[in-house]
Amino acid sequence: MTLKEGPGTATVPGPRRRPLGLIVALLVLAVLLLLSVLIGSTRIPPSVVWDALFHSSAGIDQFAIRDYRMPRTIVGLVVGVALGLSGALIQALTRNPLADPGILGVHAGASFAVTVAVGLLGVRDIRGYLWFAYAGALIVTLMVLALGSTRQGSSPVVMVLAGVSVAAVLGGAREALQLTDPDAFDAMRSWNAGSIAGRPLEVVWPVLPFLTAAVVLAFVVAGPLNAMALGDELAVAQGVRLARTRALAIIALTLLAGGATAIGGPIVFVGLMVPHVARWITGPHQRWIFAYSILLAPSLVLASDILGRIVMRPGEIPVGVVTAFVGAPVLIALVRRKKASGL
Amino acid sequence: MKRKENEPMVMTPPRRRRAALTAALLSTALVLTACGGDADEPAEAAATTRSVTAGNGTIEIPAAPQRVATIGNTTLPFIDIGGKPVGVTAESESDVGLLPADQQATYAAATILAASADEVDMEKLAGLKPDLILTQIPDAEFALIEKQLAAIAPTVFFGLDTEWKALAGGLAEAGNLTERFSQQKAEFEGKVTKIQQTYGGIAGKTSFVDVTRWSSSDPGTFAIADIGCSEIARDDIGLDFPKAAAGADPLAWTALPFEQIGSLSTYDVITYPVDAQGRPTAPFAPVVETNTWKALPAVNAGRALGVFCPGNNSYGSVVRYLDSLDSALASLPADK
Repeated sequence: MTLKEGPGTATVPGPRRRPLGLIVALLVLAVLLLLSVLIGSTRIPPSVVWDALFHSSAGIDQFAIRDYRMPRTIVGLVVGVALGLSGALIQALTRNPLADPGILGVHAGASFAVTVAVGLLGVRDIRGYLWFAYAGALIVTLMVLALGSTRQGSSPVVMVLAGVSVAAVLGGAREALQLTDPDAFDAMRSWNAGSIAGRPLEVVWPVLPFLTAAVVLAFVVAGPLNAMALGDELAVAQGVRLARTRALAIIALTLLAGGATAIGGPIVFVGLMVPHVARWITGPHQRWIFAYSILLAPSLVLASDILGRIVMRPGEIPVGVVTAFVGAPVLIALVRRKKASGL
Repeated sequence: MKRKENEPMVMTPPRRRRAALTAALLSTALVLTACGGDADEPAEAAATTRSVTAGNGTIEIPAAPQRVATIGNTTLPFIDIGGKPVGVTAESESDVGLLPADQQATYAAATILAASADEVDMEKLAGLKPDLILTQIPDAEFALIEKQLAAIAPTVFFGLDTEWKALAGGLAEAGNLTERFSQQKAEFEGKVTKIQQTYGGIAGKTSFVDVTRWSSSDPGTFAIADIGCSEIARDDIGLDFPKAAAGADPLAWTALPFEQIGSLSTYDVITYPVDAQGRPTAPFAPVVETNTWKALPAVNAGRALGVFCPGNNSYGSVVRYLDSLDSALASLPADK
């Protein structure tokens, strides 16, 4: 194994280990996709699952597989990819290993917009408030961009401060709205907890083109972000256009985080933890970090969702609750075991 | 002295004293308002009072209260027995929409004291000069406001564990509305007897389940309703509806994912909530649209019955439920 020195990292895996790890991550994801279809709050034999997928008929259990578990699995996959990649982007952009998509106010913007839709406009169906969430995330991120831009250009630190401030204001306004309308709070409870249950595929298809474009955009800026990790001056010396790279990265992460939040609500911890793990495996190379995040994040989301389906049978725990419970101790364990990786 | 723009408002010590004095005077005025204006009123009231026993002990109340305020779960049952409260805590629009027109008018005429029972505007309540306050709220919430309420008017409290029939009876007694209450109670008992006699044959050999969804239910979830209207069908009529084990939480408290709709295939008859026009309620509509629901044996056999439940804590609304249940049972195919 070849070891290279990188900024802030102790060891960097060699060229063989990265692709190998990626294949392992892909296999893990494939297994979890399968388990997500096989395991649910109802016990359905694997043979019925097989028939539901390949020899469909009108059986009740087959409907359960095709109408609920399959869409839920696809939603988990899409939301996981978006959260993981947006987390990797925000950490690279802000050079802050503790950053997650919420730091730019994405969650706060989406939550506030959904509260307005539910509380003031009476929208109750997720298909109705999906676009409110997306619009809220986009508008707030643009607002944060504007507030975070100084005469010298945009600064990651100022942007983060602007994001935290806007999120605090919107969080307060959202809570005030919810307190005046307890029904709205009840209707938003599941969305606020972060859940992929009960989401029809109709909420995924409209968002998918934006997410796909954002994934492409993320890999386009991965190289310049690598250079920016060495410092702005060195990046400029290597021909990187800082403002353009930052703008493209922010567009990509907003589309990703906004889309994921619109579908599943503010699912915490995935966007923070997964890029960390990816960086420990790959070292400070953004393309690899992005690729690993795209595979590891949906694995975490699906594993947490499966766990949430079985621990409280016949009821379920929202995936956002499980990711927080599972993710936090895992991250602490990793941090204690290894040196925190740099950016 | 004018305060400059952007100058922070700082209270000087004399200002603080003035503010404290003003607050004390306002408080005194509030209590005096609550106690009534005329000096001879207490003597007159004493001559026309009676005692009722409730969750907060034996309370001396006016014999024929004229200005009643209702807080928490007492509002709709009180209106149902013919009460006309002067002040109420807000009820949800959906619940009010289920009331008969005359009861909706009574509710609309009352002053709203707060959006919920734990936020009652005491000044507004005192300003209404009620002669009786009826409340059913959690014990802990009542403990916090008991003295304030009692300072305004005699307060009759019912704990949340009070069964609906006892609550209706208690409200009728306190509100001096026993005549209307007795009529409703007799009508309820007559309906129960009629349904028992008509459908007694299926009571023992047919398994029922009542399913529901609320507007606050998580997406993609439903619940088995073992509390609410079907509780009356089970406990008063004797139909075989499921019930939580003793000491366990009600089944209705567990949100079941849609993939468990298939588990309803073990029941002979399914009842589900419909509106006054017989359409599935808006929150429940997503359930009947699922393929799983459409594939259920009971649904295919015409044994999924929409039942209208306008409320389950007063005789008037329960009678309307029983009428709907009676019609639904009459539509069951003959073999069950």
